[in-house]
Amino acid sequence: MGLAYKFDWSVLWREPYGEWMLQGIWLTLQMGFLAWIIALFLGIFVGTMRAAPWKLLRLVSTIYVEIFRNVPFLVQLFFWFYAGPMIFGKTLQFKINAISGLNYYVAVVGLGLYTASRVAEHVRAGFASIGQGQYQAALSTGMSQWQMYWHIMIPHALRLILPPLTTEFLTIFKNSSVAMTIGVAETTFMSYKIDSDTFHGLEATTGAMFVYLVLGMAVVKTMSYIETKFRIHGLVGR
Amino acid sequence: MFDAIINNLSYLLKGFLTNLELAICALAGGIFLGILVGLGRISKNRWVYHSVTLYVNFIRNIPLILVIFWFYFIMPILVGKPLNPFLSAAISFVVFEATYFGEIFRAGFQSISRDLVSAAYSTALTYTQTARYILVPIAIRRMLPSMITQSIITFQDTSLAYVIGLQELVRRTTIVDSMEVRSIQLYSFVAALFFVICFVGSRISRYYEMKSREANIL
Amino acid sequence: MIEIKNVSKWYGDFQVLSGINETIDRGQTVVICGPSGSGKSTLLRCINGLESYQKGEITVEGISLSDPKTNLYKVRRKIGMVFQKFELYPHMTVLHNITLAPMKVLKKSKQEAEKRAIALLERVGIPEKAKEYPANLSGGQQQRVAIARSLAMDPSYMLFDEPTSALDPEMIKEVLDVMIDLAKEGMTMIVVTHEMGFAREVADEIIFIDEGKIVERGTDESFFANPKSERTKAFLSQILV
Repeated sequence: MGLAYKFDWSVLWREPYGEWMLQGIWLTLQMGFLAWIIALFLGIFVGTMRAAPWKLLRLVSTIYVEIFRNVPFLVQLFFWFYAGPMIFGKTLQFKINAISGLNYYVAVVGLGLYTASRVAEHVRAGFASIGQGQYQAALSTGMSQWQMYWHIMIPHALRLILPPLTTEFLTIFKNSSVAMTIGVAETTFMSYKIDSDTFHGLEATTGAMFVYLVLGMAVVKTMSYIETKFRIHGLVGR
Repeated sequence: MFDAIINNLSYLLKGFLTNLELAICALAGGIFLGILVGLGRISKNRWVYHSVTLYVNFIRNIPLILVIFWFYFIMPILVGKPLNPFLSAAISFVVFEATYFGEIFRAGFQSISRDLVSAAYSTALTYTQTARYILVPIAIRRMLPSMITQSIITFQDTSLAYVIGLQELVRRTTIVDSMEVRSIQLYSFVAALFFVICFVGSRISRYYEMKSREANIL
Repeated sequence: MIEIKNVSKWYGDFQVLSGINETIDRGQTVVICGPSGSGKSTLLRCINGLESYQKGEITVEGISLSDPKTNLYKVRRKIGMVFQKFELYPHMTVLHNITLAPMKVLKKSKQEAEKRAIALLERVGIPEKAKEYPANLSGGQQQRVAIARSLAMDPSYMLFDEPTSALDPEMIKEVLDVMIDLAKEGMTMIVVTHEMGFAREVADEIIFIDEGKIVERGTDESFFANPKSERTKAFLSQILV
């Protein structure tokens, strides 16, 4: 080893750093869940539009998905946070920038919008894999388009896409770390802050890694429980 | 209307070049290491399989920013002096992306049906001949769309090297923005730049995938 | 001559073949039928060494397949195999599919191999498809190419694993016609199939396998007219319309 480095793992739990980490973890959890709710609702809505029979709906939703998928999340966040308030004109701009916790709200909404585009793709793929047969069978029993989507397609597609949705849920917690770049004091931010204070960033980031690991395992366990409860029997691959 | 962009164009574009360079290093290392990871994940040797699986599952659960920070903190300790941000970022990316490419390679290797291999064997081809003329060509053709998609993701991820101060496009944009305060212009420009490259790339991938499907290679 | 002596095979605890005994002489056509899961495909794959067996012995012209000194690759040059799903190499032209093994294993030159390949394609009726890729061929055409690919190695024996099961009804005849011609020309063939019309026309012996055992064997007419065992009767009544 080069420099003589003395490990100090206590930075993970001693005052005030332990407090910092816990606050950071709490914020990560909050952001993840709130953004996930936005992403689910918006994503299912946009995904259904992507599979709709009307060309205009498909076009609008496709533009949304392509824009949010092809721009890095960091750039999106910076756009909303730095450029966003300016869209509202000079007077409103200053009022918006003065809102405390603005970075937190921007991060949650930005994360929700970004993840929604990915959820929309999974929803579209789910519809596509159900195939024309179910669609036609439902219509031939006299249901309207909306009824068919609400009662048949959406519930069926949701169960089909539970595995990729699990991955997206995991990804949302990982992506929440990007919010640190606009100053949101979540887990990764805190581990960096501990380094600025103590120069023991290695221990702090290693600790943060385990936080995300545990979070990941919890998500996977919960989602696989949900998967078994809602499993469609006899479907290939499950 | 675009004056902020035009005045600083070469500064910004040089930053973009850094993103490209970082992406190329990340892809070269990530694909090479990824092949090893993929082979490790189908290995019959228990030590190899379990250690590689542990590595893959660990990395895939943690955010890339954290990996970037971690290497940024540990490299000076290991090497004895602070490392330049590009090298540190490159190493982080290689270690990170190799797990994703590894999964692509694993799926590619496993996707060849047993009967296709049996058909080759039944014409008396040896294992090496079967691998060389049948397995590897088909596996590569199958994995190409996923590899292109993952490469696009990697390219987008290079923006995260911002956090260790690398002079890439996003970092330079924030610097220009702090002087010119033309945020809407500047960040739209960055977004558009990434958008064009990633959109074109994903179209290429989709076109290739469609062609492969028609030829029954997928 | 292929001799199968008291062969048994297990997958873990599950016994897939029990005490199979059979001799196949040169020039014979043997048809194997039976319900799915009865072990017929496994038996076929044991004959060319694609699968191993735990008990008994299979010898091909005196060479035992379970002898560790046996060079299985050399044995496979004598035995060709045609699969249910054709298994043509999708990234190569039809011509290259056929010439690959002769060039790489038999070390033939490209011209030699291609000349032979075109001749074989003429024999199976589709010489014009030589430069096409498999995806552009119908199922029946692909299977005929698969037969040509196996014939290119000049095998003494040909194994067929349900060669027409994956085909649309209108294409079954073109493949069976090729197989009937092969049988009449004196090729030694072991065919797993449900096509009893084919069996009636060219089979020298028909074997019914169920649950890994040979339940009954006969020479066509006796087999269909007077099946001895109840299980054979039940099976035949299901597949014969």
